[in-house]
Amino acid sequence: MATSVASKRLFTEYRHLTNDPPQGITAGPVTEDDIFIWEALIEGPEGTPFEGGVFPAELKFPKDYPLAPPTMKFTCDIWHPNVYPNGNVCISILHAPGDDPNHYEHASERWSPIQSVEKILISVMSMLAEPNDESPANIDAAKMWRERRGEYERRVRENVRRGLGL
Amino acid sequence: MDHRLDIADSTDWIGTPLAPFQSLENALRCQVCKDFYDTPMITSCSHTFCSLCIRKALTSDGKCPACRASDQASKLRRNWAVQEIVDAFQAARPAALKVAQEHGSLKEGREGRRNKLKRGFQDTNPEDQEEELSFQSRKTRSQSRRAAAAASSQEVDDIMDGEEEHQPDDGLVPCPICNTRMKEEAVYAHLDRCDGQPSSQGRSTRSRSSATTLKPPPRQSLPQQLKATTPPSERIPQLSYSILKDNALRKKLQELGIASWGPRPLLIRRHTEWVNLYNSNCDSSRPRSKRELLAELETWERTQGGSAPNAGSAPAGVMRKEFDGQAWARSNHDHFEDLIAQARKKMIPTDAAKEDQTGDHATGTTQEPPDQDMGDKSKPATVNGERNTAPNGQISGSRDNPYEGNEEALSIIRKKVEAANNGHSTRRSSTEDEDVPMANALLPSEQARAEEMQDSIEPLSAPSRRSPLSPTRKKPMFSVPEEPVEDYETETQAH
Repeated sequence: MATSVASKRLFTEYRHLTNDPPQGITAGPVTEDDIFIWEALIEGPEGTPFEGGVFPAELKFPKDYPLAPPTMKFTCDIWHPNVYPNGNVCISILHAPGDDPNHYEHASERWSPIQSVEKILISVMSMLAEPNDESPANIDAAKMWRERRGEYERRVRENVRRGLGL
Repeated sequence: MDHRLDIADSTDWIGTPLAPFQSLENALRCQVCKDFYDTPMITSCSHTFCSLCIRKALTSDGKCPACRASDQASKLRRNWAVQEIVDAFQAARPAALKVAQEHGSLKEGREGRRNKLKRGFQDTNPEDQEEELSFQSRKTRSQSRRAAAAASSQEVDDIMDGEEEHQPDDGLVPCPICNTRMKEEAVYAHLDRCDGQPSSQGRSTRSRSSATTLKPPPRQSLPQQLKATTPPSERIPQLSYSILKDNALRKKLQELGIASWGPRPLLIRRHTEWVNLYNSNCDSSRPRSKRELLAELETWERTQGGSAPNAGSAPAGVMRKEFDGQAWARSNHDHFEDLIAQARKKMIPTDAAKEDQTGDHATGTTQEPPDQDMGDKSKPATVNGERNTAPNGQISGSRDNPYEGNEEALSIIRKKVEAANNGHSTRRSSTEDEDVPMANALLPSEQARAEEMQDSIEPLSAPSRRSPLSPTRKKPMFSVPEEPVEDYETETQAH
């Protein structure tokens, strides 16, 4: 296998995450054959309606990683203002500095080669706790979050319970 | 993936008495590639990265990855101090890690650390070192070089390390033979007439090699090393691609000695990659040969360039726009032939059964519907509707005795088909006909063949019948090849 810069770095990150995983986060390549597709499990942060849930997501890395950011997609049902109904995560750290489709993100929050899978997952975890409703990916969820917080939390809790098979 | 476990990482220190070394090691790693700094360069904003990493990042978006300040590759400066620290740390790491892992208790660990810091490599024997180094298999050049040096002559190590660490940073390099310090450019001219004492050769060759050279044993590689660095450290300028026409760009690539094929965006990306590789090599204190750089470019080509699995970054499963179907058909000709042959083998028993049936039931009209159903079921996607119309009834009526009285017509077809297939063995006309619809979807050559066959049949068949039946001739690849059997036979019969 040709070891490109990207796969080398992904190996390093994988090793790092395995040996020193952050609280509530697990991630690694799905298969041994393709280091460019990872699966991650994120625990719902405590003190939020997501608490107690475990949310699987898929990360896909471009061949020129880390110059370009990976994409992240939840593979479970998740009701959140910054997650598209199809599961794609919309968060500034996953956006390359060049394109700002949303015109609200500070350059400092965007992807840079010094970011890492660990930082992405931590950001996503904090996104679960504190949605950013300035430029929502799921408008219905954002509206519900803004106007009917109670209903939003109920729906999220229901999803969590369903996700756990309860 | 086997080497995953061999990647040295700062987390190796976790759980050892030397856990604080994790942050020390992190500080010695480039934030972009997460590996130890390789030829560290400092930016205008005072951040340090590997030469190659920062050059790639700058060509990608022109900003420092750490603080996003705009910067240019030409403003990068070497960070020798970091290079030396990294080299020293990497050399000390295996031994230190071993000590740390062996000594479980904190107290012992402290002792080990003190020993390590004092003595470095001296207190380990060559076998141990080799073991440690191979345990950490992703060695950098400096490590493998050191390993080689350590293994070859243990006794000079401490001297050598000391010398290297305290090498005056005056921009001068020692002559490998007489050890006189001089400007790097002057060394090669000097070497031609140098007659220094051979007694100091062993040691000084190594220290020289530490300043400028390659992986293989230093003495052997000296000529190669000279050659490698002969076009000394002349950076390739960035091009402003927008003012260059395709041909001019291609020419530039040829002048640089790299591949010049592919569309313009690929040319630009390849040139950028090469400029980065080449220039970062110029920065390096241990430059590699152009051949090694070209090998690296080849790796890039395979993973991200023109030879990448899905070059256009087209998602898998979607056929690329410029997909060359004919070439694909040509290159997979054998495979297609195989599949056709397999399909034919399967069909022969069915045919035989059909013939038996037609023999048993004298009235073919009763037998036609199930036959038709069979065909429809197995290929719901094909256009078959017309077959149930009036001409079909005629056909099925005349299908009772497929070969009766038709030997003449069949022999004509056989001959024509044989001629068209040039070289294919003669088969029963029914089986011969079977591959027509498949061929239509497969190979240009076979398609031509099929068309020829149609032409050959044309004079035999009624012109009015051709249009309702023609859809069955244009069947997709996976249709069951029963229909055309009826087709051609009945056409010839009708005649």
